[in-house]
Amino acid sequence: MTMKRMCCALAALSATSFAIQAGAQESGPTVTISGFGTAALTSTDTNDAEFIRPNQASGVKKDWRTGVDSNFGIQATVKVNDMISFTGQGLVRKDAIDHYRAQAAWAFAKFKVNDEFSVRVGRMGAPIYMISDFRNVGYANNMLRPPAEVYRQVTLDSFDGADLLYQHSFGDTSLSVQLGTGRADVDLPSQTIEFRKAIMLHVIAENGPFTLRFGRAQADFSLVDNPSLAGLLATLRTVGLGTVADMMPARDVKGTFTSVGGTMDWKNVVLQAEYAMRRTDTLLVQDTNSWYAMAGYRFGKFLPYYYHGNITQKSPRSVAGLPATGPLAPITFAINGPAGLAKAALQSSDAIGVRWDFYKSLALKVQVDHIKPKDGAGAFINPAPGFQGSVNVYAVALDFVF
Amino acid sequence: MDKRIKPLLAAAMMCAALPVLAAEIVVVVNPKNPASRMFSEQAAQFFLGKSTLFTPIEHTEGPLRNEFSQKVLGKDSAQVKAQWSKLVFTGKGTAPKEYGSSAEVKKAVAADVQAIGYIEKSAVDDSVKVILTVQ
Repeated sequence: MTMKRMCCALAALSATSFAIQAGAQESGPTVTISGFGTAALTSTDTNDAEFIRPNQASGVKKDWRTGVDSNFGIQATVKVNDMISFTGQGLVRKDAIDHYRAQAAWAFAKFKVNDEFSVRVGRMGAPIYMISDFRNVGYANNMLRPPAEVYRQVTLDSFDGADLLYQHSFGDTSLSVQLGTGRADVDLPSQTIEFRKAIMLHVIAENGPFTLRFGRAQADFSLVDNPSLAGLLATLRTVGLGTVADMMPARDVKGTFTSVGGTMDWKNVVLQAEYAMRRTDTLLVQDTNSWYAMAGYRFGKFLPYYYHGNITQKSPRSVAGLPATGPLAPITFAINGPAGLAKAALQSSDAIGVRWDFYKSLALKVQVDHIKPKDGAGAFINPAPGFQGSVNVYAVALDFVF
Repeated sequence: MDKRIKPLLAAAMMCAALPVLAAEIVVVVNPKNPASRMFSEQAAQFFLGKSTLFTPIEHTEGPLRNEFSQKVLGKDSAQVKAQWSKLVFTGKGTAPKEYGSSAEVKKAVAADVQAIGYIEKSAVDDSVKVILTVQ
């Protein structure tokens, strides 16, 4: 979808949203339609590798492109009565399939048990990270995009299942707890990840300008539809390297993701930080620790900010005992080489940006990231031979909600 | 002009201007609502979507809403909007209904036992109950 068509669609949808809301003011089922989006241009200072958001099949180089940071979402909620509502959200963006496409981000029924408890059933946002639920809503965030060091560790946006929401105030502190269980299939450019028996816990405590968040997610996952991986594992077993293959199971592997985070929006000072640990029982999905910290200061409608993000690998970055020469050398390279299976994409980022709330429901953001890949190409894709970074990434984004 | 009249005139002009600049805002609920008074921190919980005990009724964007946002919510209206978009687009909340005048807000509050709204003090009548005067 071109930017022009997106804008036309937006205008049409805004018009309908007013009409529907106006028609549904009285009692009976009410329909609310709302939407969000970001129109963005992104480029970098290199042609030696492509910058992407997690899970995109192609990215940007020196030429300015809309694909990386633009999206458009629309949400409809039908409130049947005080207890039952239905919500559906569609999202258009570029991801594993290399063109703009629409996805059913979520579609669920919500049952409000009382003022404190609700139950939801259907497809819902997976609360993996602190800003998981609204990370696609640029307007709801200060930074232009979620820091990749943390936000590319688990590529799970939504799940099919059920969750329980609990909200309670203890004096000035409000607590919300979300506990969900279900399953999901996530298409990546090179393979599909099947998450099964997923359990996700998301706890938020808010007190005035302070928010603290704890999250824990676990699942049994399988890496499927990846012929080259299957071939490699089969070869390892054929040539007597079964012990190495055993370190790299690809089916029904247990994985966990534990994270803590916090935000502060006090006077004009804005802070946000997260720390996350990924642990799995396979070398194919490496154990990592990642974090970022952001600080900003609000001058009226302007919010300049800075953030730093980093990721380190906790599991071994190479498997010992593999032959460096001879006919099996290509296998060793596939595992221990610069982009080998044992290697997590490591990098650090320093970014500066500014958010400008220049008009109601519209925010303009400019952000420059300085990304330093470590021991490989980091999160960049299609690197030219010998690519080492550092790379500057430039982006301008217009966020809107309606 | 006489030097003594000038300050007097200025003072008179200020008096005339003051009510326009700072209309007193009161937070109101339905008369059937058992609540009798409230701190602004408590009222802010509803208008920021942090509690769903009461249903907030908002004004469309304008000076009254700006003043309420600044004084009670401690945020400007863009920040309030960003806060609501977090709730709306996670399916966790519905943004408050917006009305264009104190009279319409008053009518909406009078029609809903759960509702909480804010209006100019001069608009108060028996159809609503004042639980907080915004300082």
